[in-house]
Amino acid sequence: MDGVYHLVSPRPPIRGNTPLPVGTPCGSEQAHDQVLLRVDSINKQYADQAVLTDVTFDIRAGEIIGIIGPNGAGKTTLLEALAGILPVDTGDVHWRGRPLRASRRNEAIFYLPDGVRPYQDQPVTRVLSFFADVYRRSADEIAGTIEAVGLTPVLHKRVHSLSKGYGRRLMLALGLLTPQPLLLMDEPFDGFDLRQTREIVGVLRKEVTQGRTLALAIHQLLDAERVCDRFILLADGSVRGVGTLNDLRARTGRANGSLEDMFLALT
Amino acid sequence: MRSHETFRVQNAPLWPLLVKELWEILSGRALWTMLLLMCPLIGYSFFQAVSLYAEASAAGQRSPVLASSLSPLDGVLVPTLGASYVAVTLLFPFVAIRVLGQEKESGALRLLIQLPYRPSTLIAAKLVAVLAAWVLSSVPAFSALAIWRMLGGHLSAPETLNLLLGHLLYGLLVGAIALFAASVSESAATAAIVTLAFTIGSWVLDFTVTGHPGVLEWVARLSLTQVLRTFEQGLLSAGLVVGISAALCGFAALATVWLPPGVHFRNKLFRSIACIFATAIVLGLAAQIRLSIDVTEDHRNSFPVADERVLAKLAEPLVVTVHLSPEDPRYADLQRNVLAKLERAMPSVSIRLSSGRQTPATNSGDDSYGDDSYGEVEYAYGGRSDVSRSTSPREILPLLYGLAAISRPAPTSGGDYPGYPLVAPGQVALLWFFCGLPLCVVLAWWRSRRLPEPIAARFTKEVQP
Repeated sequence: MDGVYHLVSPRPPIRGNTPLPVGTPCGSEQAHDQVLLRVDSINKQYADQAVLTDVTFDIRAGEIIGIIGPNGAGKTTLLEALAGILPVDTGDVHWRGRPLRASRRNEAIFYLPDGVRPYQDQPVTRVLSFFADVYRRSADEIAGTIEAVGLTPVLHKRVHSLSKGYGRRLMLALGLLTPQPLLLMDEPFDGFDLRQTREIVGVLRKEVTQGRTLALAIHQLLDAERVCDRFILLADGSVRGVGTLNDLRARTGRANGSLEDMFLALT
Repeated sequence: MRSHETFRVQNAPLWPLLVKELWEILSGRALWTMLLLMCPLIGYSFFQAVSLYAEASAAGQRSPVLASSLSPLDGVLVPTLGASYVAVTLLFPFVAIRVLGQEKESGALRLLIQLPYRPSTLIAAKLVAVLAAWVLSSVPAFSALAIWRMLGGHLSAPETLNLLLGHLLYGLLVGAIALFAASVSESAATAAIVTLAFTIGSWVLDFTVTGHPGVLEWVARLSLTQVLRTFEQGLLSAGLVVGISAALCGFAALATVWLPPGVHFRNKLFRSIACIFATAIVLGLAAQIRLSIDVTEDHRNSFPVADERVLAKLAEPLVVTVHLSPEDPRYADLQRNVLAKLERAMPSVSIRLSSGRQTPATNSGDDSYGDDSYGEVEYAYGGRSDVSRSTSPREILPLLYGLAAISRPAPTSGGDYPGYPLVAPGQVALLWFFCGLPLCVVLAWWRSRRLPEPIAARFTKEVQP
């Protein structure tokens, strides 16, 4: 099934093996109005330090949403909490209006962490094959993904011998091979130069047109402005603002302000 | 165009996960290093065992009585595989820990845990990889058995398979402990310490508390080294197999509980307690299973067949009270020659060590210093009792028949164990274990490190003319 999905009518909370609600394809205009994921009052504390405080926001179907914030703002913690690989103290996550338990997040969400080089002793082809076989991807899909992210020159290499940029491309390829409707990416442009970043932005944009929703944690505001449709401004574990660039401009009263101006004004 | 649907657990095929685990374990240096170390270790043990067996056989070939005491199980198999036991205890944990520890340290576990597999499936796949690693690491031991056959040595299939089963269960148990340790530890080094605490701790238990009565005796039974002893004696014990399997599943379940990072510590703790409780119940039930099969060719763990048949019909309970301290060698003899066989042969046997710590009587005349009854063993059956100081079935069986008021069965003829003396040159094996096999291991290692040719159709798009 291609395309994005409607929010289905309210159903009982997901229990056991009840399938998650899957929408039907629709136009992108409609899609942007559909709330795919609702994050409700998430709190996370390490010892005495609050890392996430009352974090609430929506992610809409078919958008690229940027989670913006300086180092230490809680972006990675938030993504890991959303992906269900970090337990939270309080708060809920709803998928298309229904509560989504942490143990079932992997049915709807896939998270690409930052700084991970998986299976370093293996050649790139073997790592790609593993993910492709798990999700039963066709040869065309695998080849298309490799071509899209530009991994062809390093297919024979082992993962540990890849440069930082190609390591990123491999991670991105793994993310693109997964079928979950929502892909979370931590610092996806880290390690890329300007030209490469633009290239990857194109790949991500194409992915969205094919029915996927992306949430990117980015600390480079220029990169974020280039790729994201909406923004969540995060500082000290709290959401300081959510919206499109225009929404944020209206809120801060800076009609021609950049994302950087908005961020400084709101945080 | 790709499909972006929610992906349910039951949709995911298992084989990519298994293939990945196998590649991961083959790619690691730990397995190949262990294999290389095992070649000379097992080779030298085998050489020594064959040489000693040849010396004993030289005398045995002149005397049928001596020959009948020559069993390849005791003379060659147990010492050769004993070297494998040492390697599995000290080196195999590092191989098994890598199966999970590498992914944990590289961060790949955060990807793996998101794949559409249950944590239990992930741990099961890793146990399969541990099993494959055990099979590979046993190649030197298997080749020793093959060389023994080529030298003209005798192998009894039930004895050999039973011993290999024991080593397999021990290897898997060590592997499951290593997986559990890797699951709870943040680093491979910590996991190694935790695992070695179990394996080497078992040796400490053996040296310090075995032979002591009461709680210490119960604690000594928890030693991992106890796992192999019964198999080495040629017994296939259902209770032991169930017990080891339960312990193995228990550690695997604990590894499963601690694998997912997205679960609160408190929940993991509660689930762990439930796992430990369930495992303890199964272990308790396994301890009650008395079924065991004597797989030895010489039936060393059984009385003669005619006696076994008669003893099996003695329905009333036999109570044996032993006035010996557990560390007394006579108690070990009695246990091995009489009590263990009686427990297997008769439907109801209860053995009691007389209460209090006894000491042998002395000539000092002071009653408090010694005990005249020390060394006696009292047998009570059907309201009658008798006492003996013997540890030999030749004296005890007539005593029991007397208590049961039945006559001793006539011994059946034939079926005597002939023994298998063999004078063979063990030196030829050294060449294989010190040169040939290590070379094969290095070649296999190099082969596993070769990069595969990518399947063009799979990884590149066809260029349209």
